[in-house]
Amino acid sequence: MQSSLFSLSFLVTVVRLATPILFAAIASFIAASTGIVNIAIESIMTFGALAGILGSYLTQNAWAGMLIGLVVGICTALLIALFSMRLGASPILIGIALNTFADSLAIFVLYQLAGEKGTSASLPTPTLGVLNIPVIKDIPILGQLLSGHYILTYVCWIVLILLFILIYKTPLGMRMRACGLNANAARTAGINVERLQVFSLVLSGLFAALGGMYLSLNYLRIFSKSMVAGQGWMGIAANGIASGNYGVLLLSAVIFAAFRAVSIIFSSSTVFPVDLVSAIPYFAVFCFVTIASVINYYRIKSGKVEEQ
Amino acid sequence: MTEKKQKINLSITNPKVFEVVKMVISILIALAITLVILFMISDNPVRAIVTILTGPLTKRRYIGSVIESFIPYAFSGLAAGVLFKSGAFNLGGEGIFIISGVSIAAVACNQLTTSGVLHPILCFLAAIVTGGILMIIPSFLKAKFGTNEMVVSLMLNSIYSGVAMFIIRKFLLTTTTSTIGSRDYFKTAKIGYIFEPLRISPCLILLIITTIVMYLIMFKSRLGYQIRLAGTNPKFAEYSGISAFKLSIVTAVIAGILCGMGASCQLLTQTSFYLPEQSLVGIGFSGMLLSMLGRNNPIGIVVAAFLIKYLEQGTSILYFVDRAVPSEIVAIVEGIVILLISSQYFLRGFREKKLLKEGLEKDAK
Amino acid sequence: MGETILKLDKVTKVYPNGTVANRDINMEFEKGEIHSIVGENGAGKSTLMKMIFGIESPSSGTITYKGEEVHFASSLDAIKAGIGMVHQHFMLIPSFSVVDNIILGDEPKNGIFLDRREAVRKTQEVSDRYNFELDVTEKVSALSVAKKQKVEILKTLYRDAELIILDEPTSVLTPQETEKLFEQLRSFKKQGHTILFISHKLEEVKQISDRISVIRNGVSKGTYRNDELTMEQLTNLIIGRDLESDIDRYKTHEDFHNEKAAVIEDLCLERNGKPVLDHVSLAVKKGEILGIAGVEGNGQLDLVRCITGLEKTKYEGKIMICDTDTSGMNIKGRRDLGMAYIPEDRMGDGIAGPLPISDNMISTYYTRDDINTKLFMDNRAIDRISNELIDTFAVKTESNKTSVDSLSGGNIQKVVVAREYNTRPKFMIAEQPTHGIDIGSAEFVHHKLIELRNSGVGILLVSADLNEVMDLSDRIIVMFDGQIAGYFKNARNVTDQELGMFMLGASHQTPEEIGGALND
Repeated sequence: MQSSLFSLSFLVTVVRLATPILFAAIASFIAASTGIVNIAIESIMTFGALAGILGSYLTQNAWAGMLIGLVVGICTALLIALFSMRLGASPILIGIALNTFADSLAIFVLYQLAGEKGTSASLPTPTLGVLNIPVIKDIPILGQLLSGHYILTYVCWIVLILLFILIYKTPLGMRMRACGLNANAARTAGINVERLQVFSLVLSGLFAALGGMYLSLNYLRIFSKSMVAGQGWMGIAANGIASGNYGVLLLSAVIFAAFRAVSIIFSSSTVFPVDLVSAIPYFAVFCFVTIASVINYYRIKSGKVEEQ
Repeated sequence: MTEKKQKINLSITNPKVFEVVKMVISILIALAITLVILFMISDNPVRAIVTILTGPLTKRRYIGSVIESFIPYAFSGLAAGVLFKSGAFNLGGEGIFIISGVSIAAVACNQLTTSGVLHPILCFLAAIVTGGILMIIPSFLKAKFGTNEMVVSLMLNSIYSGVAMFIIRKFLLTTTTSTIGSRDYFKTAKIGYIFEPLRISPCLILLIITTIVMYLIMFKSRLGYQIRLAGTNPKFAEYSGISAFKLSIVTAVIAGILCGMGASCQLLTQTSFYLPEQSLVGIGFSGMLLSMLGRNNPIGIVVAAFLIKYLEQGTSILYFVDRAVPSEIVAIVEGIVILLISSQYFLRGFREKKLLKEGLEKDAK
Repeated sequence: MGETILKLDKVTKVYPNGTVANRDINMEFEKGEIHSIVGENGAGKSTLMKMIFGIESPSSGTITYKGEEVHFASSLDAIKAGIGMVHQHFMLIPSFSVVDNIILGDEPKNGIFLDRREAVRKTQEVSDRYNFELDVTEKVSALSVAKKQKVEILKTLYRDAELIILDEPTSVLTPQETEKLFEQLRSFKKQGHTILFISHKLEEVKQISDRISVIRNGVSKGTYRNDELTMEQLTNLIIGRDLESDIDRYKTHEDFHNEKAAVIEDLCLERNGKPVLDHVSLAVKKGEILGIAGVEGNGQLDLVRCITGLEKTKYEGKIMICDTDTSGMNIKGRRDLGMAYIPEDRMGDGIAGPLPISDNMISTYYTRDDINTKLFMDNRAIDRISNELIDTFAVKTESNKTSVDSLSGGNIQKVVVAREYNTRPKFMIAEQPTHGIDIGSAEFVHHKLIELRNSGVGILLVSADLNEVMDLSDRIIVMFDGQIAGYFKNARNVTDQELGMFMLGASHQTPEEIGGALND
């Protein structure tokens, strides 16, 4: 990738890399809004990515593949809902378990169809393309920034806006937030808290699956194991830093993507040791999450905010 | 109560019996689902399941391989068990395994001593110190500042694996092959077998001793009491005067030490050089699943580690005759069992009915 | 006789764990009356209300509302039918505005969007119609307790509730605020609303009710017209015997030479940039109970958190326990000085629910020699001690290995008190020690507190129950807005009306008078 830190192409790279993290971030955010901890985002992204590719291969239609990926994402979310809400398992343990054997399960399924354990490269798969927006694409600078991105990037932007409207401008969103803030109060107001929590988990699964499919169906055009590589966790980290603030949520996700872009640029130069450069985005998330909690700690200590 | 000899209650109303019954039923359900999957993918599903379940017993070499390979996993499970039991979701085991591997390789690739006893011990010490110290980071941040330990520990895992690669490439890189791995260890660093046919090494003895010690810590000691309290209700532990901070540091150190021991067992018996991208990958994460399978009980964890490795050995034997069944099928069994036994309400209705009936009978008397 | 709005016929509720909360309850409520339901804690009032409001469903029997048999699947059905409930613990979302809290669940819409303007207009209109004097755009977290209760009531009126259930509404109010609430309830009655008033405070019940129904042990003891019952008859119906409240009989008067168990000087604490504790100074003497009265949220909780060392925010001032400065000490250090603490949040702070009683009985002194060997814990000694405590505190359980969360509230509280008692304290903080537990257990806890007091322990009692504070205390402090507003050297010489004036902030003593809390 030929670009420096201060060029337009860097920004374009950031836009590309931000898409999956943004999806992961809103997946974490929507679940948290009704008081559900969904840490299985990483695994839902993996399942969604794989299901999208395999669906597309089987139907030979990328959009049909995407539909299948979405269904798998929703089903995983429902599985989490079933075990944590109906059967009383800890959602955190369920999440850890799913994340841990997601790769094995993906490999198992991939092996059955592709006869390979690593990637879906041997399967001829239609994928989704890029979108050039007429008129805008001809505007200098702005055209490059806004046009010519992968289709799911635009889907992501639309979803971000719709989600904002849902959460902050509609009665449904208000009810969802009420569930997260005080489930008992919501319940006595006649709100079916459990139903809204399942709904938010389904949306969470949907968004996470979209994030995974952006990687497989759109950006990389194949499925490869551990392609999610912590991006789901970056979304969770962004949600943790935001603690309910939508703007901070999106900003954090974009900043994490910027660090991934930095890491990619540096890794093409021979000046920096490649192994350490690959750890840059993780180190950035580590620092941001830690600093945010330290600041919060001192705010509590000095009596500026209340402990939660 | 101890003086009065009570008749042991073997009915399902006894919580311990219930736990066992639930475990057995979960395993049976998992096996049944596996069988269904095998029917779908394999031409000879019966042979497949028989091979998986009995294959490892057919040759001494097979069972030896199980005995050797389950040890590091058991250590990893014990580490995750301590952390989970204390209520800490520090998922750093994976990274600790990988980074303490670097310490082991550094010591093993240098002729620090000519003693075949002292050299492995030095390797162990290096790994234990590395693990014990680095495992503290997420737990410290969580205890002191309330940082999300899951995110932090997972990020550290990725950072450590980059750092491990960097150090190996820069200081310990092998010159004989093109792979990115350490040089061969000095012979003195390797751990030999006590009983070669079954591949029993001193590591097995170490594991047994460690398991007993962990059992005593968890169920008999004051530390174990603190861990139970904090893991069940951290607010209550704090209220009772148990320092959450101190406790989380202590449990992290213990877990780090256990990971260091596990990494040493793996690297000094099963390999003769360290490949950061292969040798230890996945052991730390598997440990978390094992601790869930073993319900955070040290003995349960070690048994679970053995059983899982046994099944994996079974599938790898099967793979020679039936290419349709990859070893990942074990993960499916594991996943189903974990989901079922972590479900508090699974089979609970059954038990409650029984309890209600007993209660009514008692009332009638 | 007015027209019957709600009728319960042989309503029975059995919980899955076998507890019979209500048995064959028959009751009739008339339109436009204020009907009180009385009974001691744990008698089954709350369960009955939950069934009427659709939160629980009856195991057998029928509920007839406005002449039709109803089976509410959830509170939503009840709300739709015109029933509203004001819960004892406020069901409000602090970070939402008053409007948002009121419209939640029944929001005015503009297409798919929330119509905020209409919401504000409608809420304000209802508020003004009933003279609530509320600014509905304010955030709930900024409101006083009495105003929060108004929001709760407004919630029911906004949804056109005809039948309003109020569960222990006065437990958080001062006597003066209670008076105002009653005026409001009477005006509701005039406008045709039916009020179900649940309480265990008999004076209030006598004051407000048209008719009174009594529940004891889950069984109805009949419905009476207010004027056909005397106080004594009512008491008898509720507990089946005469009430003995003369705690003073149990108190002995030994001289502990004015020694101080705890001294707090100039304690200040800020939260969200606002002072929640403002130069609080007091001393707890050995062998006395110092009671703290006050409306919830006036700094009592913060005071206790500072004294116990649980407060994370840094405070200013000095806290001495048994003559030792505690600055920099965590709760362990303070406990080692002889502090014990019965927490308000029994389930959250006071126990580890799933663990056995034996584990819960020793948590605050688990390192003590008598339950430890050199290397390990002495499980046999733990069994012995926990069984002894179960006996002395009359905890109803099958064995000491039963998980503590399967006990009733009263028995759980006994476990907490037994444990704190067995730490052999010199200074004890008792925070709402009998909140929500049955009369028998409450009486038991009171006697144990007196016993500790008589043996020379200094006790700081924090309670929202004015009767409890007045009955148990030797001296009384009233807190208002983070300050000590009033101090009474002799708890016998003060009336609840007087305390109420201070709780409301209507009266405030001079610094010299308040200084007595520290110096007497």
